[in-house]
Amino acid sequence: MISLDRVGARAGQFTLRDITFSIPTHAWGIILGPVGSGKTTLLEAIAGIRHVMSGRIALRGIDVTASAPEERRIGMVYQHAYLFPHLSVDENIAYAAQDASAARDTAARLGADMLASRPVSSLSGGERQVVALARALAARPDILLLDEPFAALDPRRRTSIRAELRQIHRERGMTILQVTHDFIEAGTLGDVAVVLSDGCVAQVDPPDVLFRKPATASVADFLGFENVFSGQIARAVRPADGARVLEFSGCGIGLVGVGEHPGGPGHAVIRSADVVLARDTPAASSARNVLAGRIVSVSNHGALARVTLEVGTSTLAATVTEAAVQEMGFVVGVLAVAMIKATAVHLC
Amino acid sequence: MNARSGHRALTLGVGGAAALLVAVLVLPVGALLLRGGVAGVQQLFTDTELQHALALTAAAATTATLVTILLGTPLAYLLARDAIPARSLVGALVELPLLIPHPVAGIALLLAFGRASPSGAALARAGLSIVGSPFGIGLAMLFVSAPLYVSAARESIARVDPRFESVARTLGDSRWTAVRRVTLPLARRGLLAAAVVMWARAVSEFGAIVILTYNPKVASVLSYDRFTAFGLDAALPVAAVLVGLAMIPVIVLRILRRDDGAAGQST
Repeated sequence: MISLDRVGARAGQFTLRDITFSIPTHAWGIILGPVGSGKTTLLEAIAGIRHVMSGRIALRGIDVTASAPEERRIGMVYQHAYLFPHLSVDENIAYAAQDASAARDTAARLGADMLASRPVSSLSGGERQVVALARALAARPDILLLDEPFAALDPRRRTSIRAELRQIHRERGMTILQVTHDFIEAGTLGDVAVVLSDGCVAQVDPPDVLFRKPATASVADFLGFENVFSGQIARAVRPADGARVLEFSGCGIGLVGVGEHPGGPGHAVIRSADVVLARDTPAASSARNVLAGRIVSVSNHGALARVTLEVGTSTLAATVTEAAVQEMGFVVGVLAVAMIKATAVHLC
Repeated sequence: MNARSGHRALTLGVGGAAALLVAVLVLPVGALLLRGGVAGVQQLFTDTELQHALALTAAAATTATLVTILLGTPLAYLLARDAIPARSLVGALVELPLLIPHPVAGIALLLAFGRASPSGAALARAGLSIVGSPFGIGLAMLFVSAPLYVSAARESIARVDPRFESVARTLGDSRWTAVRRVTLPLARRGLLAAAVVMWARAVSEFGAIVILTYNPKVASVLSYDRFTAFGLDAALPVAAVLVGLAMIPVIVLRILRRDDGAAGQST
């Protein structure tokens, strides 16, 4: 288990503040966040490389806040690999290996054995990452910290290395904490996702919850929710499936949505793919939110198109098929109606 | 004057200035080698006083360099990694001997380690005197040239990304094991170059040594002694041999820099 309790750390002028979350034993944790949000600093603090100013870090249930990196028995792979340039690929992999043949097996599983005869200086960025991963795994840590370990790999290699690492993770019962910018990777690998924003934890949830119910407008914005409206959230109307149906008003529009908000200032978050467009208001619909507006832009993205409507004092983006744009005659200046189910409006 | 002729005049000016400085630096050394070179080579095989002076110079400079590598490398590491209190102050104090006139450095050493001082008395009881002894020569060489080693070694270590050490520590190395296995090997060319520069500076030292130890004579003191006692012609062969000795580190440094460049291109 990796457990952080109100951890603060500094890297130059940047500060991590009050970082609290836990990654259960054998789980795969994901750290997400914009560039400069403190992801690498956080991993370094857990590894013991970065001095912790406040709070407590526990690994395997033991407080290691004051322990040296070598006492924490963790592996760490940086995005830039940091292979030792004065050693060969083989020597890098064997650097901390307890068992030479097991290290060779691990290297072979990742395809790093094919690189053994090459000097480190001749490796590509992706090859360096593979060797760095093999080097870390050869030491057989039960906790592994990964800082964008697949970023330099080509898509095909990334998929195979990811699958192999997933397999090794299961076989060894490791606990992994990985920084990534890849939402698909986060969704497919992660058991727990931690979103960092400006040095603080913005949300901790399983990835499926995170991508459906961002905790704040900034998380929603980071996760790519195209429609984020600021306004007031009214008190609960009625309970619904663990959440509550709430009323939102802001930006000149009113919405009905779901969330766990106590009421007061808040945000309504809607994925553009959850917005249905029509030319006229339907006679009857289960959608609780029907907004009329004028189309202000239409942009094509292959088979899909992004249609933006002016609604209230803001805009609402909808992702529809290019065929729908053609059939419905969606062009700039035309009046259209947007329909959104209450369950697609997340209030936070 | 149009732009083209202005550019040409500027190019000629830059080239002329560079050539003038090279001439000022090379002419004296060239003249020395031309007039004293052949005699110097002959005396290398026949002049026992010169042979002893050269052997003493090389031995004292090598010992001073080895001691400085032993003591100065940890200091350079601590300064490079900002792991020492009052780093700027310590760094400035370590570099201070470079700025002191060398006879003054000799006087300071005499005050600190002469028989009249407590430390000098303790050294004397241990059979070490800085006056009139090879020990004093080595100490003077160390005092004036160790700052060069520490400064260059610090820069060399600072160029090694600390994250290499961090990675080594996550792989189980203690801090000092990581330094031994990763940082020092990566900084080795710079450290070697620093040692060569220090050795060359130690070999050429005169001012501090002559205050502490006129006899036995190192090569620089012998050169001065022959000049004052017998005149320019007598001093020239010894001086030419010293110039020849100075070329060894210059060549070694060139080789190190060339290798460094080749390594840099391949990474």
